[in-house]
Amino acid sequence: MLLELRGIRKRFGGIQALRDGNLAVEAGEVHALVGENGAGKSTMARIIAGMVSPDGGRLLWQGSPVRFERPSDAAAQGIAMVHQESLLAPHLSVAENIFLGREPRRPFGWVERRRLCEAAARLIEEHRFPLRPEWRVERLNPAGRQMVEICRALQHGSSLLIFDEPTSALSEAETQEVFRIVRQLRERGMAVLYITHRLEELRAIGDRITVLRDGDTVYSGRVAEVSTEEIIRHMVGREITAIYQRTPQAPGEELLRVEGLTRRPVLDSISFSVRAGEIVGLAGLVGAGRTELLRTLFGLDAADSGRVWLAGREVRIRHPRDALRVGLALIPEDRHRSGLAIRLPLAWNLTLASLPQVSRFGFLLAERERRLCEEFIRRLRIRAASLWQPAGQLSGGTQQKVVIAKWLLARARVFLFDEPTRGIDVGAKAEVFHLMDELAREGAAVLMVSSELPEIVQVADRILVMRQGRITAELPRGAAQEEIMRYATLDTQQAATGRADAQQEKNPA
Amino acid sequence: MMQRLLPLTTLAVLFIALSLASPYFLTYTNLASVVRQTAVINVMALGMTLIIIAGGIDLSVGAVMAFSGLLGTMALEAGWSIPASIALALVCGCGWGLANGLLITQLRINPFIVTLGTLGIARGITLIISNGLPVHRIPKEFAFIGEGNLLGVPFVLWILVVCAALTHVILEHTRMGRYVFAIGSNPEAAWYTGIPVAFHTTAVYAYGGVLCGLAGMIEASRLMTGQPTAGQGYELQVIAAVVIGGGSLRGGEGSVPGTLVGAFIMGLLANGSDLLGISPYLQQAIIGAVIILAVAVDELRKRRLT
Repeated sequence: MLLELRGIRKRFGGIQALRDGNLAVEAGEVHALVGENGAGKSTMARIIAGMVSPDGGRLLWQGSPVRFERPSDAAAQGIAMVHQESLLAPHLSVAENIFLGREPRRPFGWVERRRLCEAAARLIEEHRFPLRPEWRVERLNPAGRQMVEICRALQHGSSLLIFDEPTSALSEAETQEVFRIVRQLRERGMAVLYITHRLEELRAIGDRITVLRDGDTVYSGRVAEVSTEEIIRHMVGREITAIYQRTPQAPGEELLRVEGLTRRPVLDSISFSVRAGEIVGLAGLVGAGRTELLRTLFGLDAADSGRVWLAGREVRIRHPRDALRVGLALIPEDRHRSGLAIRLPLAWNLTLASLPQVSRFGFLLAERERRLCEEFIRRLRIRAASLWQPAGQLSGGTQQKVVIAKWLLARARVFLFDEPTRGIDVGAKAEVFHLMDELAREGAAVLMVSSELPEIVQVADRILVMRQGRITAELPRGAAQEEIMRYATLDTQQAATGRADAQQEKNPA
Repeated sequence: MMQRLLPLTTLAVLFIALSLASPYFLTYTNLASVVRQTAVINVMALGMTLIIIAGGIDLSVGAVMAFSGLLGTMALEAGWSIPASIALALVCGCGWGLANGLLITQLRINPFIVTLGTLGIARGITLIISNGLPVHRIPKEFAFIGEGNLLGVPFVLWILVVCAALTHVILEHTRMGRYVFAIGSNPEAAWYTGIPVAFHTTAVYAYGGVLCGLAGMIEASRLMTGQPTAGQGYELQVIAAVVIGGGSLRGGEGSVPGTLVGAFIMGLLANGSDLLGISPYLQQAIIGAVIILAVAVDELRKRRLT
C-alpha cells in the first residue's frame, strides 16, 4: 500500500471537517474521492499534501508512519497536489512557474533563464503538453494552467499526485485532455488521488473509489463493483435530524418569474417562478451556477438574454439599485465581504438600504431612525448590547438577521438567500429558518440556495435542482435526497450538455 | 471613546507645555497667527476627511489649491469683484474634484494614481497659464480674508468654523454622510445594498475640490499674490491632519472634530518649534514622527479591542 490514512480527525473552529477519515491508495491506481460539498474531501487532500496537520489519526506512507508539518515535507516523500484554484504567478512564464521556489541555486540569487527553459521544455515534451516554456501563464486557459501545475508537481519525481476537482472549470475537450494525462500517469506506475463530484467521471477514469460523508469514510471499493445509485446513497445517506418544521400554506400570486435567463457560460436558459408565501430551494453542487443565478437576478452580473417579472411587471435589473427599487433582496453568502459594514454600528447597517424613509431633504431624522431600528430589533429578536455596537461584534446568526432586517426595512418582497446557514451554529440556523418562514407567511417569496440537502428538503416547498448552469429538475416538497443528488450529479440529458459544452468552447471564459 | 480623546489630550498637553516653555506662546498675536497659518491646511483637511472616510485619497489638493488661487487672483487683476473671483476659484476647485471623482469611479483607476496624475496636470497647467510668474496686482481689500479680524478674531477662523460645521453636518446628519461611511467601510456591501456608490464618491471629491478652491483664495489673500508654486507638499500635511485626528486610510473612520484637532496639533508643533528656536529642518522630522506615532497608537488600541 502506497498511502494509508487511519482514523484521521480534523477540526476547524466549530466545524468537524473530518471525524473518521480512512483511505488506502495503491501505486498505479486512480483513486476517486467523492462526497457532497463539505464532506471533507478537500481537507483530507490537504492533510495528505501537508498543508494542514490532522488533530489525530495515523498517516502511513509505504507502510511506515509519517508526519507532514508543511507541504515541503510531503513533497520530499513524493506527494504533490494540483490545486483547484490555480496557485500560479500569472505574470511569470511557464518555466518560471514550474520551478518557482526551486530554482537551481547560484551566487547572488542569479537565475539562469536558459537552463530553466531547457528543463521545463524537457518536462513538457515528456508529457506532450501543448505548452512552451516562455509563455506567460496569464495568457493560458484553465486547462493550460492545470498542465503547468501538473509539470510543477511532477518536476521532482512524485509518486502520488492529488487532483482537487480538476475539471470543474474545464470544457468537455479540456476534460478529455486531463483524463488522457491522468491515464498516462497511471501507466507510469504513479498513484493518482482524484477528487470530484461528477459521478460520470468516475466511470471514465477511476479504479477505486472512497466516499466521504460528514467527515467519515463511509465506503471504499472498486468502481466496477458499485452502482452509481449506491454511490449516491452513500454520499447522502445520513439520518435526517429535524432542523426546522414548517407548515406550508397555499401560495399566493406569482411574485418572481424568470424566463430563459442566460449568462454564458454559467447560466443556460433558466426558467422558473416563485409565488408569494413560497420558499423554493435551489439545490446543486458547487459550480452548478446557483450563486451565479442569484447574482444575475440581482443585477450584479449582466444577463445575455432572458426576461424577469416581479409581481407581474416585467423589470430590467442591471444594478443592485434597480433590485432595491423593485423590492428584490439578496442575502449574500459572505456576510463580511458583501453583506455588512462590520466596523459601522448595528443601527447604521439596519437602515442602510432604507435611508430615504428616515430622512427628509437628505437630512437624517435621528429619532425616527432609532425607533425604526428598535422596532425591527424587537421583531427579529436581534441580540445586541446596543444600537451602536459595531456589526462585526455580533454573532454569526445575529449578523445574518441584520442583513435580512436591512432588506425588510427596505420593504423587499422577494428574498434571494445564498447559503443562509453557512458558518452559523445550529440554534441560529433554526432562527434563520423561522425568520424565512415568517417572511413567507407575511407574503414574501423566498428563493434559497443551500448545499445542505436536509435543509432544502425540510424547509423548501419546491426544489429546483441545477447542474452545469441548467435547471435539471423541479421536485416537490419532501423529495428524497437521493433523487436530488441524482439530478445534481448525473448527466440526464447527454445531448443538451453537449450543446452547452460546444457553447463553452466558442466563448472561452 | 479613547479614539476621540487621545488627539484632544495630545493637543491640550502640547498647549500647556508650550505655554510654560515660551512666554510668547500664550499671546493674542501668536495664537491668531497659529490660526491664520493652519487655516489653509485645515480647510482642505475638512474635504480630505470625507474623501478618506469614503476610502479614497486625494494627492492633488495642493496643486488644485494653487490652480484655483491663481485663477482667482487673475480674475481680481482683470477687475472682477472679490466675490466673483472667489466664486471662480471655487468652481475651478470643484472642476478638478469632479475630474478626480469621475476618473476614479468611471475608469476604475486607483485614487492614489488618479490624484497623483491630476497633481501633475494641475500644477503644470498653473505654471503654463502664469508663465511661472506670480500675480501681484490685487486690490488691497482682498487682504481682509486672510489677515483681517471680525468681532475680534481672525476672519479665517470664521471661515473655518462655517466650513467645519457644514462638513460635520454633512457627515453626521445627512444621507450622503451615512453613505460615505458605508462606502469606505465596505464598498462591496454598499454596492450590494443598492447605494449609488459612484455618485457619492464623485460628490465627495468635488466637495473636497471646492474647499481646495477656497483654501487657494485664503492663501492668496495671506500672501497678497497668486503664486503658481503655492501649496507644494500641502497634500501630505492635509492627509497627516486627518490621520492624526483618527481618520483611517482603510476608510470608514474619521471625524471633523478629530481632523481639526489633528491640524491644530501640527500647527502648534510648527509654532512651538519656531518659538523655541528649533530649526525648520528638524520640524519636518518631528511632524513625520508624530504622524507615525499617531497611527501606531491607533493600531495598537484597535488590536487590543479585537
